Amino acid sequence: MAEEHHKRPVKMPQLNIKIIRLIAAFVVLVLLILRIHNVALESQLGASTWLRLSVSGLIIGGMYALIAIGYTLVYGILFMINFAHGEVMMIGSFGGYFVFEAFNAIPVTLHDGTQISFLNAQPVIAILLAFLIGMGIAALTGYFLEKIAYRPLRGAPRLVPLISAIGASIFLQNAGQLLFGPQRRQYINPVIIDRGLGWQIPIAGTKVLLTYSGIFSLVLSATLMVALYLLVQRTKLGRAMRAVAQDKRTAALMGINVDKIISQTFVISGALAGSAGVMWGIHNGLTNYFVGFLPGIKAFTAAVLGGIGNIPGAMIGGLFLGIVESIGPAALGIDFQLQDVIAFSILILVLILRPSGILGEALTEEKV
Amino acid sequence: MSKKILFFVFVVFAMILASCSGAQTPAPANTDAPVATDATTDKATDVPAAAGAPAVCATDEFGCAVIPPGSTIKLGMGAPMTGDYASFGIDISQGATIAIKDGGELDGFKFELVAQDTQGAPEGGAAVANKLVTDPTVVAIPGHIFSGSTEAAIPIYEKAGLPMLSPSATNPPLTTLGSKVFNRIAFTDAVQGKSAAEYLYNKLGFRKIAVMHDGGAYGQGLADVVKQEFTALGGEVVAYEGIEPGKQDYTTVLSVISSKNPEAVYFGGYVAEGYILANQMKQTGLENAVFFGCDGTFGAEFIEKSGANGEGAYAASLIPPDSDAKAKFDATYLADYGVPAGSLSPYTWSGYDAAAALIAMVKSVAVLGGDGNLYVPRGELVKAVRNMSGFSSITGDITCNDVGECNTAGPTFYIVQNGEWVQAPK
Repeated sequence: MAEEHHKRPVKMPQLNIKIIRLIAAFVVLVLLILRIHNVALESQLGASTWLRLSVSGLIIGGMYALIAIGYTLVYGILFMINFAHGEVMMIGSFGGYFVFEAFNAIPVTLHDGTQISFLNAQPVIAILLAFLIGMGIAALTGYFLEKIAYRPLRGAPRLVPLISAIGASIFLQNAGQLLFGPQRRQYINPVIIDRGLGWQIPIAGTKVLLTYSGIFSLVLSATLMVALYLLVQRTKLGRAMRAVAQDKRTAALMGINVDKIISQTFVISGALAGSAGVMWGIHNGLTNYFVGFLPGIKAFTAAVLGGIGNIPGAMIGGLFLGIVESIGPAALGIDFQLQDVIAFSILILVLILRPSGILGEALTEEKV
Repeated sequence: MSKKILFFVFVVFAMILASCSGAQTPAPANTDAPVATDATTDKATDVPAAAGAPAVCATDEFGCAVIPPGSTIKLGMGAPMTGDYASFGIDISQGATIAIKDGGELDGFKFELVAQDTQGAPEGGAAVANKLVTDPTVVAIPGHIFSGSTEAAIPIYEKAGLPMLSPSATNPPLTTLGSKVFNRIAFTDAVQGKSAAEYLYNKLGFRKIAVMHDGGAYGQGLADVVKQEFTALGGEVVAYEGIEPGKQDYTTVLSVISSKNPEAVYFGGYVAEGYILANQMKQTGLENAVFFGCDGTFGAEFIEKSGANGEGAYAASLIPPDSDAKAKFDATYLADYGVPAGSLSPYTWSGYDAAAALIAMVKSVAVLGGDGNLYVPRGELVKAVRNMSGFSSITGDITCNDVGECNTAGPTFYIVQNGEWVQAPK
C-alpha cells in the first residue's frame, strides 16, 4: 500500500482522497449518532438491557480476540491468512467436550455416601484438563497444519498458501464431520459453572444475570491475552518471533531457526484458538463440526479491524467487534438478523477509511 | 478469424433451434419423448408407444413411466439426511420405508424409496428434484420435507409430471402457487398459527407475547400468522424478532425482548434453535416467560438438550391419536430401527401416510403392458393424487381439496412436564 503511494508522481489526488475520506467518515459518524440518538429516545430499553448486551458482547468478543490473535501472529510472520484457523478452534472445542464427557461418566462416591460424577467432584481438575487437552490438540493441529499445508509452499507466491489454507479448512471441517458426526453435541459443564447460574446484579428494578461461565470465559481470555503479550514482549521466544516477523533472512543470519519459530507460532496460535473453542463450548453449550466457521470469519474481521499483524490490535478488534455486534442492532433499531451485516459493514468501512486497521499504521510502515 | 465467427454464428443458430424445439414439445426427454439412443441403453427408459404400451400412454399429458421387469417402482424423497435437521429426514424416510414394505407388490413389481439429501435447504431441494426427474422409474414424490426445499422443487416436478404428497411442508402459500402436482398431508402453518394464537390468548390467558422466528419460509410464515391472529384477538405482540439459524448465542436478541416483559415467547422454527432459545431465556431475564414452540420444536431432542430449562415449554404436534394402525406401525418401527416411533421427529407417521397414499394411487392407475413392462401414466397419477378421497391411514382420513390440502385438522398442543411431552389441556 505504502509503496504504491510513493510511486505516484503527483501528490494532489492523494490529498483529495484524504479530504473525501475525512468528509465521508464525518458524514457516516453524524448519521450514526443521529440514528442512535433517535432510537435511544424512542425505545424503552432500560439500563439492564444495555448491561446484558454489553456483557454478552464482551464475552463473545473475548473469544473473537483469542482467535484473532492467531490470525495476526501467523500473518505477522508469514504474510498469509490462515483460513483454517476457525477449524483449529473447532478441534479444540471437541477436545474439551470429550474431557467433560469422559469425566462425567466416571462415578465418584463422596464420604457421605452420595454418588456424583468425577466432573462435579473435582470440577477444577476437570476444567483445567479440558482446557489443557483442548489447547493441546488444537496446538497439535496447528503444528501439523503448518507442516503439511504451508511449509511445502514456503517459496510459492502469496496466493498459493492462501488457497492451501482454504483447502485445509474444508478438509478439517469434513474430517470433523466424519469423526464426530454431523449432529450438535451438548457440552456438559461442571455444576459450578453451569450455564444458568451466576451473580444477580440488581439494576433499574430488574436483576441481570452474569453467568459464571461467561465471566469465567471473559477472565480467562483476558488472562491468556496478557500472558501472550508478555510472552511476545518479554521472552526469548517472543523476541525471536518478532525478529522473524521483521525480517526472516536477517533473523536466520542472527542464528534464529526460522522454521522452528514458525512452527512455534502455529502451536501458540493453535493453543489460543483451542482455548477459545473450549470457552465457546462452556459458554454456549454446543459444539459441532461447523462451530469454527463463523467465529473464524469474525475473528479474521476482528484482526483486520485492529490492524492485521498487530497483537494488541487483534485483542481490541475482537472485543470491539463483539460489543458492536451485540449492541449494534439494538442501538440502530434494526433487526437482530442483521448482526453479521453490521459486523461486516464495519469491516468495509474500516477498510475504506483506515485500510491499515485501528492500530495498524505504525506496523505496516516499518514492515513494507 | 472468419472461421471463428462462422462457428460462433453456427452455435447461436443451433441454440435458437434447440430452444424452439424445446418449446414445442411439452414434456422433457425423461418422460415420453422417445430418443434413438434410448433404445440402445439397457437402462430403464420410456419407450415408444408402439412397443406394447397401453393406449392411455399415447394420450397422457406427461406420457408413461415405463418400468421394465426386474426394476422397482421408485418413490423419490428429498429430505435432510445429514446436518442439523438430519433427524427429520431420517425419521420420515424410515416411516416411508415401512409404508413401502406394507405396500407389497404390484403385478410382481416391488416399490422402492429413494431418499436423497437436501440438507433441508432450498438449493438442496432443487438439486435433488433435478436428479430425481432424470430417473424414469421414479413415479411419485412423498415429499419434500421442508417448505423451502419443497418450494424450490415444485416447478421441477411440475414440468416432469411427478405428483408430490408432502408429509411436512407446512408453509401456507405452497398450495397457492397453482401447482398441479403439489399436495400435502401436513396441516398448514395458517391452521397451526391460528390455533396457537387462540390457545395463547384464550386458554393460557396471555395478553402480551413476543413472537420470534428463524427467518425461514416455515418459521417466519408461522410467526406472521401468530402475530396477526393474536393481534386480531385483542392481544399485544410486544416484540417481533428474527434470528439467524445456526448461531449458538441468541442472548442479545433475548435481552432486548426481555425489556418488553412478554408473558410468553412464541417461536416459529426448528428444534435446533428452539432449545437454545429455551436455555438462554433463563439467562436473559425471561425466566418467567413461557416458551411456546411449534411442531418444528416438538420432539425428544428439545427435552434432551434443554433439560430443566425446557420445563413448562409448549409445542404443537401432529402425532396422531392412538389407533390400531398406529400401534402396528409403532411396533414395526421399534423392531426395524430399535427406537420408538416419534423419538426422532413427530413426522414419521405422516411420512408413512404420504408413501402409503402414493402407493395406493400408483396401484390405481398403473397398467401392465403386453410386453411385460409396467406402465404408469404420469398425468393420470397426478390427477388421482389430487382427487384422492377418504384414503384412511394412521393420521386419519386423507382427502385432498382442489388446491392440494389433504389435511384440515389442526395440531395438538403438548407441554413439557417432568421431562416428558404430555398433551396439554385443550
